[in-house]
Amino acid sequence: MATVSLKNINKTYANGHQAIENLNLDITDGEMLVLVGPSGCGKSTSLRMVAGLETISGGDLYIDDVRVNNLEPSERDIAMVFQNYALYPHMSVYQNMAYGLKNRKVPKDEIQKKVEKAAEILEITNLLHNKPGQLSGGQRQRVAMGRAIVRNPKVFLFDEPLSNLDAKLRVQMRIEIKRLQQEFATTAIYVTHDQVEAMTLADRLVVMNEGNVEQVGPPIELYEKPATQFVAGFLGSPAMNFLDASLNGNRLTLSPDVVLDLNDPNLPTGAHDLEVVLGIRPEHMEACDEAGADFTLSVDMIEPLGADTLLYGYFPGTDTLITSEQPGKQQFKRGHRLALRIDRERCHLFDKATGKRLGS
Amino acid sequence: MHDNAVFSHKVLPYFLIAPQLIITLVFFIWPAGQALYQSFLIEDAFGFSVEFVWFENFIYLLEDPEYWNSVRVTFVFSALVALVGMILALLLAAMADRVVKGAGAYKTLLIWPYAVAPVVAAVLWWLMFNPSMGVLPFWMDLFGYDWNHYVNSGEAMTVVVIASAWKQISYNFLFFLAGLQAIPRSLIEAAAIDGASPFKRFWQIVFPLLSPTAFFLLVVNIVYAFFETFGVIHATTLGGPGSSTKTLVYKVYEDGFVGLDLGGSAAQSVILMIIVITLTVVQFRYVEKKVQY
Amino acid sequence: MVENRPWLTVTRHLVLILGVFVIGFPIWIALVASTNSSSEFVSGLMPLWFGDEGFGNFRRVLSNEERVLGVSVSASWMMWNSFIMAMVIAVGKIVISILSAYAIVYFRFPFRKTCFWLIFLTLMLPVEVRILPTYEVVASLGMLNSYAGLTIPLIASATATFLFRQFFMSVPSSLMEAARIDGAGPFKFFKDILLPLSVNNIAALFVILFIYGWNQYLWPLLITTDEDYYTIVMVIKRLMSAGEGNIPWNIIMTTTILAMLPPVIVVLGMQKLFVKGLIEQEK
Repeated sequence: MATVSLKNINKTYANGHQAIENLNLDITDGEMLVLVGPSGCGKSTSLRMVAGLETISGGDLYIDDVRVNNLEPSERDIAMVFQNYALYPHMSVYQNMAYGLKNRKVPKDEIQKKVEKAAEILEITNLLHNKPGQLSGGQRQRVAMGRAIVRNPKVFLFDEPLSNLDAKLRVQMRIEIKRLQQEFATTAIYVTHDQVEAMTLADRLVVMNEGNVEQVGPPIELYEKPATQFVAGFLGSPAMNFLDASLNGNRLTLSPDVVLDLNDPNLPTGAHDLEVVLGIRPEHMEACDEAGADFTLSVDMIEPLGADTLLYGYFPGTDTLITSEQPGKQQFKRGHRLALRIDRERCHLFDKATGKRLGS
Repeated sequence: MHDNAVFSHKVLPYFLIAPQLIITLVFFIWPAGQALYQSFLIEDAFGFSVEFVWFENFIYLLEDPEYWNSVRVTFVFSALVALVGMILALLLAAMADRVVKGAGAYKTLLIWPYAVAPVVAAVLWWLMFNPSMGVLPFWMDLFGYDWNHYVNSGEAMTVVVIASAWKQISYNFLFFLAGLQAIPRSLIEAAAIDGASPFKRFWQIVFPLLSPTAFFLLVVNIVYAFFETFGVIHATTLGGPGSSTKTLVYKVYEDGFVGLDLGGSAAQSVILMIIVITLTVVQFRYVEKKVQY
Repeated sequence: MVENRPWLTVTRHLVLILGVFVIGFPIWIALVASTNSSSEFVSGLMPLWFGDEGFGNFRRVLSNEERVLGVSVSASWMMWNSFIMAMVIAVGKIVISILSAYAIVYFRFPFRKTCFWLIFLTLMLPVEVRILPTYEVVASLGMLNSYAGLTIPLIASATATFLFRQFFMSVPSSLMEAARIDGAGPFKFFKDILLPLSVNNIAALFVILFIYGWNQYLWPLLITTDEDYYTIVMVIKRLMSAGEGNIPWNIIMTTTILAMLPPVIVVLGMQKLFVKGLIEQEK
């Protein structure tokens, strides 16, 4: 049970590279906070600073209102699950889980009780005497989880724990992690580059890019109201389409033939030939008859996924490739001309210069 | 790399590295420095007078035909040891690589000479080549050849080369075998499908892929022949007959410990150091290249 | 195997058998010689089949009866000296190398690179090229004719340090981080994690270094004048200097067998580890 708070955290490497710039985050008790972003965005560095594996160049880190900047990792009462699990290869599963407790001088019988209980929860009781080398990827993952929960720490830290698993197992373990975290109600920070994982696990999501936080909030909020073009493009699969446009008042011109009238009262008043980017998700362009259509997509490529079908083609008059998602039961052929209508309520407008969201 | 995963202790690492460092400084760096310093001095055998003479010792050495003889002997000896040891080892490794039955047994029976000291190897062959009752001269005599390594310098060289190479075959064999086994089977199978005969396959596919190993072994064998065969010479020919088997290392020992020519011996040491440094650099260049593979 | 040509397989076996025979022939000669009496080696052809003096030869050499070795100590005593020398060198090299590799890989400290290069330099300075000055240093430290003198100057090792360094760098860094989170400091991490993981490397290195130590020749020759510190390998040469015609070949070969036996047993007994270690050492 703990809160974690990062105040003006900076990280500059010896070579002068600034990995993190003024990071401010407050993680409430029992919350699962997910840091997501492309590789090199600083999410892992942030996590490792919380763990104490990376020194903090500037700012303050508090766990339960105690400043822990200068505490050893073992003194911070955290547990971490590593990407490659970092199980001790020469120790049995039992010894792996017991090692941290042993170092903390926990009595032997108590260690045994705790390890056995954790093993039971993770359904690895029958593996306790195996070495990590004899386990499958999923089993190793469970042991790594077990090593974390057995200590009952204040904070769980996850560093891309699922990225070494195959797709099916990943989904399964994702659900497992969510279940465990809720059951223990332990504060957790979870780092991933996989936006699906991020969306499904997070109580709150932090999207990072180049050492800065782009947006923080509940996943659905970020999905529905991305604050920047980066967040909009990063979350959601298939990714959002972006089209260059110019804005005059409420009137959006995508091409001479495609002009949309938006009725968003929050758009900047008096916009005159403002260069903007329209973001529209593939699922928010409806097939309709020629008369009601905004434009017609000439289908270049088709990816049937079963439930849905993804259609690719160039937006008329541009060389921008866009994606449209249509129900899977309909049959398409290459060259098919699909009349589409853009859902006015689901349009996202971003300032082309700053990438910031315009309107509501 | 471990650039992040380090302990932050400041003093502990010095304690950990101290034993190694102290021994290195006292028994390696300091004597090497002494050798360098002494190579610029001329000292009489009783240590009564010492004179700083700059490069005089080196000039004297390089003008001495005895020294150049020793250089020549060392190069001939090293080249022969490397070639004999490597060719035989490659032959055996190529055979053992493709043998299915008994491969382990052959390996065991071929590697044990690694454990034999060079001086012991020398004594064994010295006995077998003994002119008056050795088994090999006896057989040669049947063909009308009169063997006597006490007077014939070529024959003396042959004995020390064979003894030195014999011991080294195991080492070369293990590396060639490892090199051969690292060549993907699919490559050889592809060549076979392309219609290459076993011998062609060896020369055109296997051998080129083995050349890094061969080059590495060449350097190792030369270093071995240069520096680790002192015992071979010292126990058998004592550099003779004449100076026909007097290698550089044997000469350093003889001039320093028997001749008590401190400056001359030190100058020879310095030249030897330059040779080792060159060989080590060559070897490490090769290692770097291998890392890029 | 790509194909099966019977004559090729037969040729391979023939070449290998011939190789084994040629490689093994000197040992046959040595074994035979150690079982014959010295009178068999005066002239004519040396014996090629076992005699019945074997037991006597080994007994006389091991106990130095009738001073057959020409020195005041027995072969068993000299083997003990060789054993001490080999053990101290092997264990010493492993201990100081693993510690210095640990310092170099897992710590950052001023002059780390300098230390590394100093150790690297030892690779370029074999004893053979600095015989005299090293002798002088050992003499001035009063270490002539002592076990310390026989071993300590030889236990610095660049090769072993590099091997451990290489191995440590291949250990995922997350293992050390996990250990830190589990509350292990540098000592615990070394003892509980790194050392157990290094067992195979240590064993393989031990074989190589034991042989290196046992087979030392020039070094003991330089720094021992007291026969109490003679090693088994050294004494063979002394027997050789008896002069042509007087060389006690049966005694020499008996001693030779004794000098070869321990390292050969170590190599064959730990063959798998040794082969793996040898190949990896050069990577």
